[in-house]
Parts: sequence; structure tokens; C-alpha cells
Amino acid sequence: MPTDADATCVRLHDITMDFPGHRALDGVGTSFRFDEVHGLIGENGAGKSTLVNVLGGSLAPTRGAIHVAGRSVMLRSPRDARAHGIAHVSQEGSLVPAFSGAANVLLGDEPTRFGGILRSRALGERAQALLTHWFPEASIPLDRAVDSLSVADQKVLEIVRALRGEPRLLILDEPTATLQSREKAQLWSIIRSLPARGVGVVLISHFLSEIKALSNRITVLRDGRQVGCLKAASVDESWLVDLMLRRDAGDGDGDRQRAPTAEACAPGPVVLEAQDWSVGEVRVPHFALRRGEIVGLIGLTGAGHFEFARSLYTREHIASGRIAIDGAPITAPGIRAMQRSGVAFVPDRRMENALFADGSVTANLAMVHPEFATAGAGVVLRRRTERDEIARVVSQLGIRRSSDAQNVSLLSGGNKQKVSLGKWLYGAQDRYRVMILIEPTEGVDIGAKQEIYAHARRLAERGAGVLIASSDLLEIEQLTDRVIPFVQGRAQVPIERIDYSEATFIAAIAGAAT
Amino acid sequence: MSTNSDTPSANAAPSTAPRTSDPDRWRTLAMKYSTLVVLILMFAGFGLFVDRFMTVFNLTNILQQISILTIVGCGLTFGFAAREIDLSVGYSVGLAGILVPLLLVAGQPLLVALGAGLLAGVAVGLCNAVLVTRIGIPSLIATLATGSILFGVNFLLTGGRAIYGGLPDAFLQLGQGRWFGLPTLAWFMLASVALSWFVMERTVFGRYVYAVGGNRKAAELSGVRIVFYRTAALTLVSVFAVIAGTLLAARLGSGQPNAGERYLLDGLATVFIGMTMFRPGTATILGTLCGALFIGVINNGLNLIGLDTYVQNIVKGVIILVAVAVVSRSTRLNLL
Repeated sequence: MPTDADATCVRLHDITMDFPGHRALDGVGTSFRFDEVHGLIGENGAGKSTLVNVLGGSLAPTRGAIHVAGRSVMLRSPRDARAHGIAHVSQEGSLVPAFSGAANVLLGDEPTRFGGILRSRALGERAQALLTHWFPEASIPLDRAVDSLSVADQKVLEIVRALRGEPRLLILDEPTATLQSREKAQLWSIIRSLPARGVGVVLISHFLSEIKALSNRITVLRDGRQVGCLKAASVDESWLVDLMLRRDAGDGDGDRQRAPTAEACAPGPVVLEAQDWSVGEVRVPHFALRRGEIVGLIGLTGAGHFEFARSLYTREHIASGRIAIDGAPITAPGIRAMQRSGVAFVPDRRMENALFADGSVTANLAMVHPEFATAGAGVVLRRRTERDEIARVVSQLGIRRSSDAQNVSLLSGGNKQKVSLGKWLYGAQDRYRVMILIEPTEGVDIGAKQEIYAHARRLAERGAGVLIASSDLLEIEQLTDRVIPFVQGRAQVPIERIDYSEATFIAAIAGAAT
Repeated sequence: MSTNSDTPSANAAPSTAPRTSDPDRWRTLAMKYSTLVVLILMFAGFGLFVDRFMTVFNLTNILQQISILTIVGCGLTFGFAAREIDLSVGYSVGLAGILVPLLLVAGQPLLVALGAGLLAGVAVGLCNAVLVTRIGIPSLIATLATGSILFGVNFLLTGGRAIYGGLPDAFLQLGQGRWFGLPTLAWFMLASVALSWFVMERTVFGRYVYAVGGNRKAAELSGVRIVFYRTAALTLVSVFAVIAGTLLAARLGSGQPNAGERYLLDGLATVFIGMTMFRPGTATILGTLCGALFIGVINNGLNLIGLDTYVQNIVKGVIILVAVAVVSRSTRLNLL
């Protein structure tokens, strides 16, 4: 069954914050998951602090809604926010310098007896217990006044205090701003350890390398607007800088770029939904693919995951089943109906199913949308337009060929596969909302694999739903957001990213999972 | 389909691109142009050693002889590009060559007769296409059968006799006249080649036809309407065939029930020879044009030498075998 992605995140809808004279936030919609480190970046004045204050309950937005674990909430105060599992560690530091570490950790929740007398031994013990619970490897003397501790240790104590209320989401505002590099490393490992323990982190930092190294996803703000929400693995720092500073090299039109990426961040709406699906031995009562997510299908040979993925596109030999794209049922039969409603399909065995060997790189890439290179009536090809579009696809996917006229059969496996993907990029103008890939990196070298993965991620970020059926478990682990194991033609309980491991996968496809 | 003149574009991937190694490059070049070299050598050979070969009269004659063949070849090229073969093509030539004169002799206006010929071509092509795409009979077999049917129809229509006499001058002019110093037939050929080349190389339609022929499964999975393009290709084969048949009748000044038959073998030879050139393994219009020249020069040269037509048939058969062997060794020629 599809679990509701909302249940595992804090989701912002259309958050807008007006201050007299200017709009600090404008329609921000992103999600912070409880199993990720989420980087939040932007120039000074881009709206990071405002957003964090809204999230932390210090500011009430002019417009917009916040959902915590799927429920709409009003955060009227930091206390409200904490009650809903959102804790905030501010940039300035909020420790009382003369107090001991223990007193600071338990500030506001001190163990007392007789309604007011401090139990100092219990205080020390409980603080130590908290510290060891969260960060067993940290050795910080809790009995000393905090102003005698290193800045890094002070930051750790602040974090421990914030974790005291067992939050689901921890906002860290420039936690490493004043730290030396060795101290940073210590804090980094602490931050990294949190998602695995069910605490999501919203990380604000000016150090892009830090954001990139620690985050799973990154939301970029500029002038109060969300200009991107990206998977960290698929971006480089220069791109982030471009996004922050609006130097969108190439595309030029920042607003056009904004729409799909903003959409990608929220756990998107369902884009493909199949019901009562029955093909061959495969029965899937319900399947939903959301915009912005990458779903993996795994199984042993003959488990039916490939057949299922393929049949969603071809609808060949299906005994029963209803399918809808963006809520609109597809009733017309045939492959073309699926393709026209925005479903792309990259099949396995590319030479048999995707490419024509005697054709040139150009002819193969332009197989799906040759009409892109025509003027007006869609009949006569303009060679210059075609060449430019080929060049765009070739450079975006990094296809290495000696010329566009080269026979596709002379390319390496990885480049052939890129052509097979590129067919859906050439002239597609972002029309594909669903991409179904089967064994996308079969017989492909490691470099090309990574480029193909980056392409799949890019598609998801731009708001497409990506479905990958693969027998490469490592690939599934690297690439997908959730996995549906198949056993003997039946879809099993999905595995969420947080539970990913080779052992889980193997147990699941062997039918051992319950 | 980009042609062989493409250079890597400005945004091309860095120079890590694997270049075809030198021996490979030479082999590809040799592959692409060896037929052309043979054609030129042959032309020069006949020119040097056969007296009457290199005369304006004879060269015009060759042009005229290959015109109708080239028009048939253009149609077959569409078929081959979509990987459909049409063995009924000779009888389609024959059908138009009978039908149009029959209507003219019966007193129908020229345009009506020509239109009826075209319609007959569309009808035959659509029949072939339905058999192939809807019923699923491989085109090789389906058109073998329809060819036999057409053969019968052609003899029923004429009772096996030629139709002549009473054909209007305007009609005969189509096949025997001259425009601007060139035979009308040559103009028809040039028009067919130019139009077909443009459609094949410069339109979306051509792209899809090549994609469907190149890998039908891949085209289908890419959302290409393969039934439409296979149907269109088979229909074009017949349409070009009836145009050729009409011109043939105009040239001969009569409707002959079996005049079209030789265009099956020669037409196929033309396309096969063409498939050895330019984009080896792929039927191209320019290749077909060269193939027609090849056949035309051989026919003419051997005629001038005075070789028996039987021997000519043997020579042509061997040429087809050589061409197909060359093509299928290096590519995935697969017609069934």
C-alpha cells in the first residue's frame, strides 16, 4: 500500500510573509522530512531567517499553511512549535554563560523537589543521560560553566537541549559559523546522525560545501521566493550559487525554472495511478506514483516487476486495470495514448526495443519528436534547429560520439543507453510527467551510470514521477525514494528510504518480509 | 536523417569522443563509395571500348530508359525504408499501363484516365497494406499473392492483347515529348527523385518511415503510429508504380499487359544497389538513383555489345546477389 508521504514530514504550503513595505516570503512551498538533512540556502535577505521563524513559531505568516505529519497546524509560538515537534537552535546562541552545561541542557525543565528546590545531582545525571543518549561519543564536562567550553561544545549542548523534547524536526541556524574546521567535523557527524534517529534537520549555512556534504535535499531561496528544491547529490556548488544569485546560466528564464522545481519539493500529487492491474501472473490492486519521487521496483526473476512496469506503458495483454495520469483516466488503448499523455518509456534491451542500429545518432534521438525541428506546419525539417536540439541533448546527457551522423550501433553501451534516454529529451519540452525505466544501466560503464542517475534525479526534481524496475539493488538504493518489492507477481509492502539496506531488499524480494 | 556531411556541432562532447579507428573509417568509406566507383569505371569502360556509347543520342536514350525505372525505384525506396517489400510492383506498373489506355480508348478525358490510374495505385497499395498491417501477413508473401492477382486482372482486362490506336496526342506526349531539350520522362524522373528525396530526408514523415523500418519495435514503443507509416509506405510504392506504368504506356504508345513485369526485378536491383551506398543497409533515394543508373548503363552497354537478353538477366541476377551480399554482411538487412 502506498504510505502517505505527508506523514513523515513538515510541509509548507504557499507560505507568504508580508512586512510593512516588503514581502519577505512569497509563496514558499517545500517539505522537510524527518529522515533527511535539508539544506536551506540563500543570500542575506533572501528570507531564510523569516522562514525559520515561521517554522519555529516566532512569526505567524500572512498566508499559507503548515502541515506536520499530514495535519494542518497553527504555530502561534515557539512553544506551539515545540509541541508539534519542531525545535529551533538559533544562530546567536541561547546558553546562559554562567550556568553549568547540565543546567543549560535542562533549562526550563529542571528536576525539582518540593515544588522548587533543585535536585542538583539528578540534574547532572539527567543531563548526562540525555547527552549520552543522543551523542554517545561526545565527552563534554557538564558540570562546568558553559562559557569555559569550546564553541563547538556549546553548540552541541544547545542541540541536546533542543532534542530534549524529542522533536521530529530540528532547525539549525548557522551552527558552524563560528567554528574551527576540526570542531566542524565533530558537529557534522552529530548532524549526520540525527535523521537515522528520526529527527529531520533543517540546516542553514553559508558554507555551500557544508550544505552539499550534509544535506539530502536543498531548498534555495532568493528574494523571498523558492527558486529551487534539489537533491543534493545531483547539484554542484556553482549551480547552487547561480540559483541563489539568479545567474541562471543558459536558461535565462528563472521563473519558468522555478515552477517545476518548487513543485518537486513538496511530496507531489499523484501523477500516475493504476488500479486493479492484472497482467499475466501480476496482480497489483493499487499503485500510485507521485510527482518528484523516484520509485523502484525490485524482485527475483519472474517476480513480475518488469512486466508490471512495462505494462503500465504498453498495456499489452492486460486482463484488467484502470490507469490515470494526473487524475485523468486513459481510456484509449495503445502505446501512443500513454505517450501522448506524458508517459515516457525507456525499455530494457535497447538495441531491440529502443534504437535502430543502422540509424544515425540524430535519427535515433529524433525518433520520438522529429516534429520539434519543423517550422509551423510540422512537416518540413529545419536542419539548424535539429542540429541545435541534438547538440543540447548530447551535451546534457554527455553522449560521446564522433559525429551526429555516426551509426548508433558504433557507440559504447553507455552512450547507446543515453541515446535511448535522450529520445525522450529531444524536442520533448518538458512534456513528460512520468518516466518508466527498465534496467536503465544494463551493460553501462560506471561513469555513464552516474550520468544516467543524475538525469533521472533531474527529471524528478523537475516534477516528473520516475519509476525504475531494476535488478541492480545498488542502483535502487542510490536512486530511489521508495521501493516496491515484488514476490510472485504481487506487490509487497513498500520499503521507505530510511529502511534501505541490501539485507532489507533481499529479504523483501525473497518474500521474507511481512 | 542527417547525411554523411555532418560535422560535430559546436556543443559536441569533449574530444574524448571515441573516433572510429582508421581501418574502420576506410572500410566505411570504401563501403559507401565502392559502388559509385564501379559505376564510374563501368561508364568509362563502355565509353572507351563501345563505339556508340558516348554519344548524346545514346546518353539521352539511357536517361529515357532509366526514367521509368527510377520512378518505380523511388516508390520501392519508401517501401524498403519502412522495411516493406512489394513484389506486386511490376504488375501495378502493368495495371496502370493498361487501365489508362483502356479508358482513353473508351473516350474518357485524359485527366479522368490519369486520375483513375492513380486511384488504382492507391487502391492496390491500401490492399497490400491492409493485408500486411491488419492481417499480419509479411509483405513479401502478401504482395507475392496480390501480384499474382494483379497479373490475372491485367490479362482479364485486355484479354491478353495490347491496347493501341486512338490514344490522344496529349497522352503520348507525356512519354515521348521533349521539354527544354530533355525527354519528358527525364523531367518526370527528376521531379520524382527531388520530391521523394525531400520527403525522405527533410520531413517528419521521412524520419518516421525510416524509424519504423529501422526498428519497428523501438518506433512503436516511442509512440510512432507504425501502422500508418507502413500503410503510407506500401501505398507510395503502388502510387509510384502506377505513375511509372502510365508513363510507360505513353512512351510505348500502347497498353501492354506484360510490359511492367521487368520492373519488379530491375526495381529491386536498383534499390539493392542503392543500399550499398551512402548509408549502407538503408534504402535512400540518391542510392536508388545511382542504382538505376547502374542498371541503365549495364543494360545499355550490354545491348550495344550485342549480348543476349538472357545473359543480361544473368548479369543482373549476379549484381543483385553481390549487392545484397555486400549489404547484409555489414548491416542488419532483414526483410522478413
